[in-house]
Amino acid sequence: MVALANIGLIPRPVHPTGVWSWLTTVDHKRIGLLYGFTALAFSILGGIESLIIRAQLAAPNQSIVSPETYNSLFTMHGTTMVFMVVMPAGAAFFNYMVPLQIGARDVAFPRLNAFSYWVFLFGALLMNFSFFVGAFPDIGWFGYAPLTTNEYTTTGATDYWLLGLQVMGIGSLAAGFNFAVTILNLRAPGMTLMRMPLFTWMTLIVAFLLILAFPPLTIALTFLLFDRFFDMNFFNVSAGADPLLWQHLFWIFGHPEVYVLILPAMGIVSDVLPTFSRKPLFGYPMIVFAGIVIGFLGFGVWAHHMFTTGLGGWASAAFAGSTMVIAVPTGVKLFNWLGTMWGGSLRFKTPMLFAVGFIAMFLLGGLSGVMHAVVPVDTQQQDTYFIVAHFHYVLVGGSIFGLMAGLYYWWPKMTGRMLSERLGKWHFWLMFAGFNITFFPMHFLGVIGMPRRIYTYDADQGWAALNALVSAGSLVLTFSVLLLLVNLAISLRRGEKAGDNPWEAPSLEWATSSPPHHYNFAVVPTVRSRYPLWDEEANVVEPPPLPPHEEPHMPSPSYWPLMLAFSIVMLAVGLLIWQWHALIGIGFIVVMMVLGLRSIYGWVYEPPAVEAPAAVHAHT
Amino acid sequence: MYFDTTVDPHRTSTGLNNRKMLMWAFLGSDVLFFGTLIATHLVYRGQSLVGHQEDIFSIPITSISTFVLLMSSLAMVLALSGIQRGNLQTMRLWIAVTAIFGAIFVGFQMFEFHEFVQEGLTPRTNLFGSTFFTMTGFHGAHVTIGVIWLWSLFFASFKWKAGTETALHVEIAGLYWHFVDIVWVVIFGIVYLVGAYGAEDRLLPPVSALGG
Amino acid sequence: MATEHIEAHEESHPGPRQYVIIGIILVVITGIEVGLFYIEANAALIVWLLILSSLAKFLIVVGFFMHLKFDDRRFALLFFFPLLIMVSLVVVLMALFSTLTR
Repeated sequence: MVALANIGLIPRPVHPTGVWSWLTTVDHKRIGLLYGFTALAFSILGGIESLIIRAQLAAPNQSIVSPETYNSLFTMHGTTMVFMVVMPAGAAFFNYMVPLQIGARDVAFPRLNAFSYWVFLFGALLMNFSFFVGAFPDIGWFGYAPLTTNEYTTTGATDYWLLGLQVMGIGSLAAGFNFAVTILNLRAPGMTLMRMPLFTWMTLIVAFLLILAFPPLTIALTFLLFDRFFDMNFFNVSAGADPLLWQHLFWIFGHPEVYVLILPAMGIVSDVLPTFSRKPLFGYPMIVFAGIVIGFLGFGVWAHHMFTTGLGGWASAAFAGSTMVIAVPTGVKLFNWLGTMWGGSLRFKTPMLFAVGFIAMFLLGGLSGVMHAVVPVDTQQQDTYFIVAHFHYVLVGGSIFGLMAGLYYWWPKMTGRMLSERLGKWHFWLMFAGFNITFFPMHFLGVIGMPRRIYTYDADQGWAALNALVSAGSLVLTFSVLLLLVNLAISLRRGEKAGDNPWEAPSLEWATSSPPHHYNFAVVPTVRSRYPLWDEEANVVEPPPLPPHEEPHMPSPSYWPLMLAFSIVMLAVGLLIWQWHALIGIGFIVVMMVLGLRSIYGWVYEPPAVEAPAAVHAHT
Repeated sequence: MYFDTTVDPHRTSTGLNNRKMLMWAFLGSDVLFFGTLIATHLVYRGQSLVGHQEDIFSIPITSISTFVLLMSSLAMVLALSGIQRGNLQTMRLWIAVTAIFGAIFVGFQMFEFHEFVQEGLTPRTNLFGSTFFTMTGFHGAHVTIGVIWLWSLFFASFKWKAGTETALHVEIAGLYWHFVDIVWVVIFGIVYLVGAYGAEDRLLPPVSALGG
Repeated sequence: MATEHIEAHEESHPGPRQYVIIGIILVVITGIEVGLFYIEANAALIVWLLILSSLAKFLIVVGFFMHLKFDDRRFALLFFFPLLIMVSLVVVLMALFSTLTR
């Protein structure tokens, strides 16, 4: 059985460039870019879905799409934007920036990091693949059982939805573990927790939210999978099942998930504001503790998504209370951000514009959120466009604006080139206007009674004018995003050279070249304050670039993360084949389990490096 | 910038090992995994409309399998103690005992599942069947993965030298193994004993007793 | 945080003798649990005793076999914080589904 120990001894891949170098990369910066490109691609898909929705609703009694297609459109728009755009966009930044911000050479588990990305990508592709086999999922991004059990669904698209989500969840969990350990363990000498940049802090909280929130979703999806595939009874009401079980489990995951989406944006804004105010963050410890409190309380508010299900008096009161309480730390952050700008020497570069836009728009979304904590008000607004307005203010005005601030802020670091300020400002103002024209009227539509998820409405219902305005706004929003794409393309072609620290920012990612060497830092810096590049300006020591033979040994690329991710998604495909032909399906699953096990052994017994015995690997 | 070249590049900020920290974070996550399974079983307790429920449990047999799993945990910690004292032979002996006990536990579970199916309780029968088989099935899968892991360590260890690095391999596998054990402690206590105690006379679900 | 700090802890780990004693204690508690199960008594009392004895076994395994009692406090935090959240969730869910009062 000694042979067992030898099976990993396939030489590690060595390609420095080309397709294989990307498929086998374990470099956190490349993985970050992969996440970024993927998020961008899916945002175009999700955006097209929303544009068809707005075309359909632009005027009364239209039939551009059928009611069934409309259901698929809002389902995939929501699922795509949450799981395949905002989450991976956040992941793109924390992959690229967190190791740089804490002065590390890579994450704690580079291969696990690659695995997270591939398994996420494959899960997303699996879900969207349903398009080619008949139908898109049409069950809403929340997939409420028992409505998603076999009895109430007509197509197999639900299977793709739940298996795709399950597979993507594995990637999120792996990323959560990896970044929790990375941030706790790989900080540069002298970087105490309370000296970490805020983006790193919020990523740490997000990592723990992922670790703790995804298991309940995994279980809920497993229950649904067993019900759909093996006729079990978890959601079978005629066997005595409780129709609210799914809602509870889903929102126990779903509410922390909301903070997974918003906390990275808050972290970005908390890094951008001090830079462009030339002033330390106001109340740094308060922002950190507010983030921790939000993460913790996020597990205690889930039932406010379920007030209209008849939870009973004391339960509604308790969750209304906890929901109001969670607004407090959020308010604390808002005042701290204002305090940061107060009296600073403000420079309104594009990242700053988006950060300030974030504060204003997120405030509006937060305020309408607190309204929903009041149970009678929520009962009135449940399932109306008021809710749609609310969460778009949080997720677009909040998350996306924050991520845009991050993109404009860190693009020069990632590419070495500046984005055009002129186009950037056009992008911001058009996006700001388009966003508000699109989503602000939805508040009114909701109050005058327009329900969510309806595919059309009559002319005499009085919703036509506002809907036309909303659809017009969505075109402005789309145009602003096109400006962004143009800006990115021009910058890559002939953008101005960025230099190491174009914004005169204080944190460690700006202490290395743009884009950084594959080893990040020639010599890992020692940190002596919260804003090292500001406080140490006087004694800047530029370490000379290293000759190749003295470069730090970095972990070698690996095939196994890709292989393991592939075998996992193929296990899900095996279940789908099983639906069609039991024997072939089971055979396929067995083959993929063997491949998965082979990949794990290959991973474990892989030689640490191509040539030199990379010492770097010793502590991974 | 300030650079201190005397810093050991392989240190960790907390002084704690990366992989051990990963395992503890994973176990924290697994707490919520099993917790959700157990919670679902508990909220569905007594809600099944047809078929067997807790009355089907055979407490004597499950007590024996519980004993076997507890003893495997003891063997696991003795294996770790062995390698920490530099004795690979002792470690291998106890790793093998742990894996065999684990396999026996899985055998008991397969026997139990078989018996239940014979008596007419399947995952499709009722709510109890669905939650019970899923919960204990996932636990059994964890044990099975643990057994594979332990045998892998057993065979790999013939190439090892005793030291901190190899002791860590055993320690991390041990953490996983003991965690699987405590999940069973909870399932045996709460699902089997508390569940079946109230089911004796099929009164109310026993947890109601907590309310006085 | 130096590594000697942890190795100092390693010294105080129990030896095989103590482990066997702990194993025996666990078996005894399990025996008591099974015994309790066959006693006809106040249901609330028995149920609470069963829960407490399971908790005792849980803490003994985590504290001694998983060394959490001797290991770094931060590992304990990584484990007990999720446990706290999960126990709260179980209690709240049972209350919401009225399992506690049914």
